[in-house]
Amino acid sequence: MEAPPVTMMPVTGGTINMMEYLLQGSVLDQSLESLLHRLRGLCDNMEPETFLDHEMVFLLKGQQASPFVLRARRSIDKSGMPWHLRYLGQPEIGDKNRHALVRNCVDIATSDNLTDFLVEMGFRMDHEFVAKGHVFRKGIMKIMVYKIFRILMPGNTDNIEPLSLSYLVELNVVAPAGQDVVSDDMRNFAEQLKPLVHLEKIDPKRLM
Amino acid sequence: MGVTCVTQVPVAEGKSVQQTVEMLTRKLELLGAEKQGTFCVDCETYHTAASTMSNQGQTGKLMYVMHNSEYPLSCFALFENGPCLIADTYFDTLMVKLKGFFQNAKANKIESRGTRYQYCDFLVKVGTVTMGPSARGISVEVEYCPCVIANDCWNLLMEFMQSFMGNHTPGVPSVFGTKHDSIYSPADTVVQYMELFNKIRKQQQVPVAGIR
Repeated sequence: MEAPPVTMMPVTGGTINMMEYLLQGSVLDQSLESLLHRLRGLCDNMEPETFLDHEMVFLLKGQQASPFVLRARRSIDKSGMPWHLRYLGQPEIGDKNRHALVRNCVDIATSDNLTDFLVEMGFRMDHEFVAKGHVFRKGIMKIMVYKIFRILMPGNTDNIEPLSLSYLVELNVVAPAGQDVVSDDMRNFAEQLKPLVHLEKIDPKRLM
Repeated sequence: MGVTCVTQVPVAEGKSVQQTVEMLTRKLELLGAEKQGTFCVDCETYHTAASTMSNQGQTGKLMYVMHNSEYPLSCFALFENGPCLIADTYFDTLMVKLKGFFQNAKANKIESRGTRYQYCDFLVKVGTVTMGPSARGISVEVEYCPCVIANDCWNLLMEFMQSFMGNHTPGVPSVFGTKHDSIYSPADTVVQYMELFNKIRKQQQVPVAGIR
């Protein structure tokens, strides 16, 4: 019996441009439980999932004014997971009616020598942090409620302190470009979380 | 993946690349090996753009991005004598985004394509190495699937290679030297292909060019 032939052409990376649609908000520590309770009710039925991730942000400086930013993320509590390398483009300047922040994104799963490889490419680590929280799903929407921790000594993720007395709430969807109906669905979902949390389109440039 | 050895077989005296490949595959078929589809390993070269170099004061480095049809959803990125990253195929999309910093030397793209043969626990791939339109050499990859510790099965691999490669059987690959007793990985195979491709690029072009 002959095994099926291996494909002759290796499958090369998709050229479909994926976009990330994002809404963000925050809740104070004392309101966390009521938000989680509502999310458990609204979202897809699944085992409650928590995460503890370590993210490092790398920059590659060239002659261009703005350096190239890449984010390397790994799970601290789950073993055997690949590292996650992420590129995020500039937010699209769309019409004011678009409800979510839209930016190009490329997500790549990699082996665990990612940081050594990025340094070899010429990237240097700009900053790092630990994110600890909960993740929920509703269809293709992902909702994360997490706290950011500052790392006191570089490379030591056991010695951390919270950055604030609140939790960051993010609603995001990764979908192929051109699917603006996604942001309408996100806005409708965000309505259901009011007044516990107000999720909005926050342009990172305006904060700087 | 089992322990694998990748080597170059020189073109036979007075014969073309294709004829030498046919001689090898005929020997394999006589042994009893069965054809099992085809394979392709390709390698693209990127070099750091001049703009990044002046800022960091270092000489330009070469980065190779390779694909192996045995792992169709993966992409291997490596530096010579440096780390080898295994990523999914979206890495190619990222390289497009990085084109201001890393330039693709398209003329350097090199690949090996050919037939896959299975003989009991061995997997043999005989490929024609091409750069652009011209055939530059022959690669032979032999994998002993049941074993993942390099030093445990080198003798067996060598004996099997002698049965169809004769005098062209190679010595121990350099990647085995650093392995000791650690588990063999697909990245080790890709590193061997990179070394082979670099050797072939430096060699003079085979006089009878072109694939028939």
